[in-house]
Amino acid sequence: MKKFAALAAVSTIALGAHAVQAEPLKIGIIESLSGAQTSSGRLYATAVQYGVDKINAAGGFNGEDVQVIEYDNAGGSTGAADKFKQAVADGVNIVIQGASSAIAGQITEDVRKHNLRNPGKEILFINVGAEAMELTGDKCQFYHFRFTTTAPMRVNAMTSAMKEAGDLGTRVYSINQNYSWGQDVQAAINAAAEKGGYEVVDEVLHDVNKIQDFAPFVARIKAANPDSVITGNWSNDLLLLMKATGDAGLDVTFGTAYLDQPGNIANAGETALGHYIANNYDNTAGDASFAEEYKAASGHYPLFVEPQTIFAVGALSQALEGVDFAGGDIDVSKIALALEDVTYETPVGPIAVRKEDHQTIRPVVVSRVVENARYPADDTSMGFEAVKVVPGEQAIYPVQDSCDMKRPG
Amino acid sequence: MEFVIISALNGVTYGLLLFMVSAGLTLIFGMMGVLNFAHASFYMLGAYIAYAVSSYFGFWTGLIVAPVIVGIVGMLVERYLLPRVHAHGHAHELLLTFGLAMIIEELIKLFFGDFPVNYQMPDNLRFAAFTVFGTDYPFYRLFIGATAITMFALLWFLLARTRIGIVVRAAERLPAMAEALGHNIPVVFMGVFGVGAALAGLAGAVAGAFYPTNPNMGLELGVIVFVVVVVGGLGSLKGSLLASLLIGLFSSYSVGLDWSLAGLFGLVGLGDWAQSIGGLMTLELSSVSATIPFALMLIVLLVRPAGLMGERN
Repeated sequence: MKKFAALAAVSTIALGAHAVQAEPLKIGIIESLSGAQTSSGRLYATAVQYGVDKINAAGGFNGEDVQVIEYDNAGGSTGAADKFKQAVADGVNIVIQGASSAIAGQITEDVRKHNLRNPGKEILFINVGAEAMELTGDKCQFYHFRFTTTAPMRVNAMTSAMKEAGDLGTRVYSINQNYSWGQDVQAAINAAAEKGGYEVVDEVLHDVNKIQDFAPFVARIKAANPDSVITGNWSNDLLLLMKATGDAGLDVTFGTAYLDQPGNIANAGETALGHYIANNYDNTAGDASFAEEYKAASGHYPLFVEPQTIFAVGALSQALEGVDFAGGDIDVSKIALALEDVTYETPVGPIAVRKEDHQTIRPVVVSRVVENARYPADDTSMGFEAVKVVPGEQAIYPVQDSCDMKRPG
Repeated sequence: MEFVIISALNGVTYGLLLFMVSAGLTLIFGMMGVLNFAHASFYMLGAYIAYAVSSYFGFWTGLIVAPVIVGIVGMLVERYLLPRVHAHGHAHELLLTFGLAMIIEELIKLFFGDFPVNYQMPDNLRFAAFTVFGTDYPFYRLFIGATAITMFALLWFLLARTRIGIVVRAAERLPAMAEALGHNIPVVFMGVFGVGAALAGLAGAVAGAFYPTNPNMGLELGVIVFVVVVVGGLGSLKGSLLASLLIGLFSSYSVGLDWSLAGLFGLVGLGDWAQSIGGLMTLELSSVSATIPFALMLIVLLVRPAGLMGERN
């Protein structure tokens, strides 16, 4: 009889244990994993995986390993909307995306609507690369967090660093892509003119990654006779612009935001030397152990958008340490509230979330392309060398008036 | 003056590059009636093969090997893939080549990675041909232009002045009759397709060293090449040349012009009103320069549906 009771007790415990089996935290990466922007999308996905591997190595979350599911949005917002529905069906708690502000705009709206309609089953959107101002302006919402810079942060840091190095000059040319990001950069260049002590001699907006021949634009730049050219261009638009400028023998300094995209330095060749980039991180700034650790795991030093993505997952990991669901249902709102309070230490300085619009306050690193670099890019001898790290408090700009965030509860 | 001359130079060389890519496409369509969506992928394939070969055997070897290999790939496509769908009409051929374009793009990514590869022109070609108004004019642009002109001359000579040309034209016009006279029509078509593909391969090998060689280059140029062929008239080689030059010049000049609708209204004293409306009114011509070829295509299709030099059918 006693034996039977014991057996019953054991089975009850076993059953009970089964009933409270922990619920895993699911992260969905909705990225451009095929099509034209694969090169960026793949890097975001790899970096997220690296960050999550670290969380899992430290014991995971909620008694389970954190799961990562990849969704291919095929480079468009329609694809992203479809994949978001699939992610919801798969029970994803956190969505991560970076390549393209247009796609981020779609996702943040989808997330906002989903959360309105499904109270208690909220989804969190961590934006690791989409820099359009409207994401923390018109479209700002509680469940969107931006773990990257925006146009004013990059431009302000760049102009101040270039000015200190004596490479900015007094005549600045602004050439940008004609969509939200390029327009943001152009506005930022104009806004920073007074403080930077320069005059914007001409500004031009052009189609996004459609132009094959930049020689006509170079002719126009030359006519304005600038000392430096500031551009938010990325991918082909940057590479072709720089190559055409080099071919024409024009002597200007470029201030860029995406010069570190893989392949750029090798393709631009010596034309790239002496030009600037302002972004979230550089291997030559701060503690080198982060770069070495990443290289040990992935085979290459962190590049392009990888560092900022790893930092975002790092901040998330820190937030997760502060919440405990005891193996039960995951309440994403609690994670979001915890993420608001996180201050994450990166090798270049702390990153913290600004509660009013969920833009991160973060350092901006300005670096220059040099010969015989410490961390050579694209198998060349050239690479980036940090010239200035602008701390977060100095880089940040005021909250946009258009942001009207509704907090939960 | 400076603006006019430099824009003309840039426009002509860019136009010639466009012609180099579109020549093969228009040849294939004109002779065989196949609208080859994968044509720009052949262009990309040419660039990548030239890159792979040139890193071992030097730039010039790459330039010769690339068109040959791409030509062979083209022939294989014509021999083994197209006949299977030919009976079902143009739509099926279009879909087949569309699928082929995607497969080629993903294969390229698989072998060469997602990022631009480091395909460079040799240093002895990297110099300024001349200097106009203080701007260096790269020799390589002239090289691209010269290649295109040579290509046009050779093609025209081959088709219009040789026996091979007669057979090819006969095969296009009256295949049954030409076959009855003892010519092997399938081989002729295979050859034409191969030459068309090889031309795209050559264009890729030449242009890839000047513009970056990346997995998107086919996609980026593909659309514009179709515009060239449509504007010029499907199947007309001379039409393609004319359309390429037009598009090159239009794109080049539009960049330097800050014209907008508001400016136009300004001429009659309504400038301030138009400025206040914004939107389309203040959109500058330079910011839509890449859209101009498409506007040109629209106008040509409305006025002359067969294209500038196309034959009405």
